[in-house]
Amino acid sequence: MADQGTDIAARKPLGLWRHLNKLRWLSLSCVLAMLIIIPYLHLYQTYTASHAYDLLAPSEKRIYDAMEILTAPFVSNPAEDLDAIKGNTWSGTFWGFRVSDPLAALGQSVAGLNVHWPFVATALIPIVVTLFFGRIFCGWICPATLIYELNTNFAAWLRWAGLKPALIPDHWRFDRRIKYAVLAGGLALSALSGASLVAGVYPPAIIGRETYYAVAQGGFGVGSAIFFATLLFDLLITRRGFCRYVCPGGALYSLLGRYRLVRIRRIAESCNDCAKCNVICEFELDPMRDDFGQECTNCTACMAICPTDAMTFMLRAGDYPAQGPGHLGREYRDAEIKQSEAAE
Amino acid sequence: MKISLLQPGLVLLALLLPLQSAEAHHILGRPGYSLNEDSNTPPSVQVETQAGGYALTYMAFPDIPRPQSPGRINFYAARISDGKPYPGKVKFLVRLDSWMTRFGIRDHTETIGVQSPDDAVFRQGVYYGPAGDYIITAEFEVDGEVHRVEFPLRVGIPDTIGPIGTAVGLMFVLLIGFGLVQRRRSLTGKIRAHHEKESPP
Repeated sequence: MADQGTDIAARKPLGLWRHLNKLRWLSLSCVLAMLIIIPYLHLYQTYTASHAYDLLAPSEKRIYDAMEILTAPFVSNPAEDLDAIKGNTWSGTFWGFRVSDPLAALGQSVAGLNVHWPFVATALIPIVVTLFFGRIFCGWICPATLIYELNTNFAAWLRWAGLKPALIPDHWRFDRRIKYAVLAGGLALSALSGASLVAGVYPPAIIGRETYYAVAQGGFGVGSAIFFATLLFDLLITRRGFCRYVCPGGALYSLLGRYRLVRIRRIAESCNDCAKCNVICEFELDPMRDDFGQECTNCTACMAICPTDAMTFMLRAGDYPAQGPGHLGREYRDAEIKQSEAAE
Repeated sequence: MKISLLQPGLVLLALLLPLQSAEAHHILGRPGYSLNEDSNTPPSVQVETQAGGYALTYMAFPDIPRPQSPGRINFYAARISDGKPYPGKVKFLVRLDSWMTRFGIRDHTETIGVQSPDDAVFRQGVYYGPAGDYIITAEFEVDGEVHRVEFPLRVGIPDTIGPIGTAVGLMFVLLIGFGLVQRRRSLTGKIRAHHEKESPP
């Protein structure tokens, strides 16, 4: 039993597991909303600190009024109290608690050729969470994921409508190891240049920066063009291609989550081989054949779509061994019939 | 006789004083809306740069020029080596700054005026046109070489949402719309794509 891991809910998955995907969408939406609201909060903080209401343009007064209504129940002195929440998913302070993306800590340490431990310590919690849950940041927190998944839906709709946007043949596959090369190359260039270059192509960092630019400075930077290019890459080249093949943060999280403890596993006894899990998997993994690997983000989309509740969580440092066809599927039944016929 | 005139005058003044409108006072000083280009310390847009061996300072008044209203551009040029002001004349030009003009559409440059130094300042009075982004060019000659320095000028309050913001907003609406309204069809598309991948021609 130790070899096969421990099912968190034995043979029958908890009813809650099916709804985790909705919770995930809520989480992604909240993170994106937070990234947009925080710069406005800081504008409001600046306005209040400078007592500048009378000098504001009408559009700025609207921001002031909206943020005043939003924060009034929580803060008494906005100029001081709003210091409690700053930053974005790259690095931020939340009520005195500092959290950084592990890639931020690694990139900055490599670029500076110096480890500043207080900063590295801010990445500790994401690292520990990743060691347990794998690429959960990619599936549940990354603000780009929400946009990328909507983009996937759009690409699928185009395909339904008869427009096939792919520029390469469907059966072409890239090598997933490319992203590790991007991570290594990015870190090497960061060390040479002295600037954390990996942040330049890391979508959550880009979104964090660009929302700040848009709100505080009234325009977008070059990062928005890079992010738009990643959307086109996903739309025209391959589904979630950037996350799967290029993202340096995804590479780091995959490495950290290689031996994650919490994994999804298929219950072969309940599986009917309908392949809906494979269809829905954003990372084009093969849950139907027990192949999750280190890329799985534990997004639970396969759990949500499974018509026979054949997906559950387990505690195990590696994927569940291949179980063959699902017991409710035709392949398994045919094999059983053949076996019984041979026995007779 | 004089005293008798002064007394009613003082009484009249005392009666009129309370009728004077109250002046607004701001904690940081006079509020911006009461300052104009003729004030001693009006807020301004200021840009500093160097060209032709001169340190150049450009100031546009007021800081947020209103459309169809008067304003002023001050231009200072001091030689970097010894701080002496530029003795010649400076020509000021203006053109629209938009994505259209960058592609050569409506790319028309107009001369505002040519100014001589007035107490080491080149003062160019202007009447701001319609709201929009403009480029002010200051042209001057040093040792036979013509130097052109361009400065940005925004007239009126900038749009809350510009063309890029509109594009980003539209993209979001489009993606969310398809994600919600066309969910089933998107899933059909995914199934179709999956089948095509699993069974290549």
